[in-house]
Amino acid sequence: MTDLPMPADASRDATKSSLLVADARTRKRNAAEKRFRSYGAAAIGVALVALVVLLSSIIGGGAGAFRQTYLSIPVALDADVLDPKGNRDPAEMSKVLTLSYGRVLDAAVDTAVADGGIEIEGLSDKDIGGLISKEASAQLRDRVLADPELLGTTVETNVLVNGRVDGYFKGRVTMESAEADGNTSPQQLMLAEELKERGMLVTRFNWDFVTNPDASDQRPEAAGVGVAILGSLYMMLVVLFLAVPIGVAASIYLEEFAPKNRWTDVIEVNISNLAAVPSIVFGILGLAAFINFAGLPQSAPIVGGLVLTLMTLPTIIISTRAALKAVPPSIRDAALGVGASKMQSVFHHVLPLAMPGILTGTIIGLAQALGETAPLLLIGMVAFVREFPAAPPEGLFDPASALPVQVYNWTQRADPAFIERASGAIIVLLAFLLCMNVLAIVLRRRFERRW
Amino acid sequence: MYDTNRMENAVGQDDIKISARKVQVFYGDKHAIKDVDVDILDKTVTAFIGPSGCGKSTFLRCINRMNDTIPIARIQGEIRLDGEDIYDKRVDPVQLRARVGMVFQKPNPFPKSIYDNVAYGPRIHGLSRNRAELDEIVERSLRGAALWNEVKDRLQEPGTGLSGGQQQRLCIARAVATSPEVLLMDEPCSALDPIATGQVEELIEQLRQEFSVVIVTHSMQQAARVSQKTAFFHLGNLVEYGDTDDIFTKPQDSRTEAYISGRIG
Repeated sequence: MTDLPMPADASRDATKSSLLVADARTRKRNAAEKRFRSYGAAAIGVALVALVVLLSSIIGGGAGAFRQTYLSIPVALDADVLDPKGNRDPAEMSKVLTLSYGRVLDAAVDTAVADGGIEIEGLSDKDIGGLISKEASAQLRDRVLADPELLGTTVETNVLVNGRVDGYFKGRVTMESAEADGNTSPQQLMLAEELKERGMLVTRFNWDFVTNPDASDQRPEAAGVGVAILGSLYMMLVVLFLAVPIGVAASIYLEEFAPKNRWTDVIEVNISNLAAVPSIVFGILGLAAFINFAGLPQSAPIVGGLVLTLMTLPTIIISTRAALKAVPPSIRDAALGVGASKMQSVFHHVLPLAMPGILTGTIIGLAQALGETAPLLLIGMVAFVREFPAAPPEGLFDPASALPVQVYNWTQRADPAFIERASGAIIVLLAFLLCMNVLAIVLRRRFERRW
Repeated sequence: MYDTNRMENAVGQDDIKISARKVQVFYGDKHAIKDVDVDILDKTVTAFIGPSGCGKSTFLRCINRMNDTIPIARIQGEIRLDGEDIYDKRVDPVQLRARVGMVFQKPNPFPKSIYDNVAYGPRIHGLSRNRAELDEIVERSLRGAALWNEVKDRLQEPGTGLSGGQQQRLCIARAVATSPEVLLMDEPCSALDPIATGQVEELIEQLRQEFSVVIVTHSMQQAARVSQKTAFFHLGNLVEYGDTDDIFTKPQDSRTEAYISGRIG
């Protein structure tokens, strides 16, 4: 087999190259590898830059939504105005409109300005009254109705200020832009500046953004994502309780039990196709099937959940099947070899081993559903909803919004303050997605077994 | 009925445990096993030898109906275990496999503890009434697989953490734990080093006391070392079947002789 030892003749030595010098072919190969590596590094670089730009623009635009300016002033709750009958009967008191509370608040702000000795040239009553949000009187009314004892006293109140004034402290509104703005004026902003110096106007962390419902076009400062979070949560519950059992059971059947014939091939192809169907098509399907045919209410999380279930099922089925396929066949043989039935081998051995993959696929499917907007627009989740839905299961049929739809909704509004709100809602949405992905990783680590 | 059968048959070494008649196996269009007739004896090690792809593993998997799991496989003919046709419509393969255990080529312990690996079979077949009985079965099985002394202090550790040879003996213990009557081994030593192979071979000799052992092997030396009966398969046919000594010293068929002397295969 081995050749005879070569005589060390001169011609051979001449063609033999030194190992210390790379020959042309090697140099070429190394250069190609280097080039390829730099392409890869460049791709990663571009991706990272894009990510940084995206995140910084969202956080830069949305961080403001988590800070809000409040005016803290003593408000004298005039019993004659707020309870004309004077019997503290909540039913009677609820007949008093928000308008009256507005007057009480206006008076309080006037007093505060006068007491503070603030004098600004050209400051009108409209400027002073417009300093506070239109929402503030409604909030005060709710507070008084909840606790009638407050009537007749003077309470220290944190009042939401107008979105423009709030925007001034966040840098969105300037003196120049206020000049041309019908909703504010430089004098109003100067007044706000003065109040801030006196410590009456504070900008602080804004939990209300997370807990409040949406607000009308005139009151961006009061808008929050509370209803949207609840709606999204309800929909995720529906998806979790429908898509996961159905999807996992379907994949187990298809992968482990179903005969491999033309019908299962057709089903398989169709599931793959369904995964690629645009989500808006599912929205139309949901509109036709669940609302028009089944008569379920519009804007309800149950319908949204059902539509998202249909949309998530293919994702869950495909990833679960992949996870089941990845379990080595030797484990199935081992189980069958000791006399386990097909079902025992699947449930005792295959499923636990496929669990990390199934969980990851499921959570990614849920995350995808959480961010889905288009189908929800079609089933009426885009409606303006201020009422919180009740607790499930009844609440599933109440109107609600959803986070991505809320983002879409706010970007349609005229007031630039809503852009900040929309970015804030995106931050909330991203935070939820991040939590879900972290959960996926944690569960994966936890269930992963080595062999 | 099965019990009386067993009593009648539990006489000596020459009892026929498994008898196969005119067994044909098709994988789709491929005729993998042709007309195999063989009688496998109780308390005997029977070796199946032959070149790769000759059908010896396929035939082995027919004996506990593992081929049922391959959708395209079709089996004709009859295989009788203690006189009962195992391909009868009324036979549930699950029950059959509890009586005909199997050890595979690659050690395939479950990713569970050593204890759970062995206890799995008895658990699903309800062979123990309480924990103490189960403990006893596990110990007996591990002793039977010559593994007890090595693992008795770490029964709760994962079976996958053992060495290759230990894993294979764990798989044997797992197969033995359901008290089978026949033990099928599909090249049990092909993934093991010589020392582990020696241990498993020694074990096979012990197992013969209790079971009928059928072993598929690529190594003729191994067949000669461990078996009393040898069957030579070639291209799906059972060419020759007889006492191991006879097969290796005076083969009747020219193909057997060619294989044994290393000219084919």
